Amino acid sequence: MMSMNPLESVTKLFSAEVVSAHCDGPCGIYDPASTRIAAEAVVSMTKKILALEVPDVNNAKAMAAYLNTLSRYVKIKEEQAHIAKTELLVLWTDYFKPPHVEKYPQLHDIFWKAAKLCSACKVEVNVEKCEELMKAVKEIHEIFWATKDRKIEWYLAG
Amino acid sequence: MNKVRERSHFGDLLLWLMRRRSRFLVRGESMSPLFRDGDVVLANLGAYRAHSPQIGDVVIARHPYQTNEIIIKRIAAIDDEGRYELRGENPLESTDSRSFGAVSPALILGRVTCRL
Repeated sequence: MMSMNPLESVTKLFSAEVVSAHCDGPCGIYDPASTRIAAEAVVSMTKKILALEVPDVNNAKAMAAYLNTLSRYVKIKEEQAHIAKTELLVLWTDYFKPPHVEKYPQLHDIFWKAAKLCSACKVEVNVEKCEELMKAVKEIHEIFWATKDRKIEWYLAG
Repeated sequence: MNKVRERSHFGDLLLWLMRRRSRFLVRGESMSPLFRDGDVVLANLGAYRAHSPQIGDVVIARHPYQTNEIIIKRIAAIDDEGRYELRGENPLESTDSRSFGAVSPALILGRVTCRL
């Protein structure tokens, strides 16, 4: 393309400072649903662990199967509780900004408690803690979508 | 509102030579379709010494929380406390006052005058 201004080509010899016209994250896509799915998995594994029937200790085959299943459940619970906590921290530190905290002063407290509950659910096999965690995730869901002026109904996969 | 020109005039380049205008390279699509990624714009960094920014001005501003980041946005509104609501032209690809809130006048560095 021919330049109309001879001076224009001269300007190109000098570097220009970069001004950003993009969003914070590489995509700017946040959704507390990812936390909810992981938290639901923790709830499910907690219930499954508690529901496991302990076989006769003298039945070696049944005992091996039991321990195998139990270990798998525990492993999944550990992993999912960790994922839930990570997802919470990303939302808390990356999505939410000071103006949101001004509007929802309880925000930090909710996130802090929710993150603590992820740890509690990981350490213990505790249905009540799981329920508290789901309650906290629901609160976060409501605040999150309110900041976007969108009405997204809370639902569960399980 | 001071309109942004789609093309520079010879006068703009003279002003740039006289250091009355500064060049900025736009990165990202938040100002699309006005400016696209890779566009170079001229801004008057002395524009707001004499008068304050107006609604509709396209401005160069400092990000309120990432202070080493310089952003380009349009002024959408001015609140009761004299702070500026900044918006990208393209709401789907813009992080602006919708997430970081209104910004103080001190963060507005200058007015974009034209695309180079």
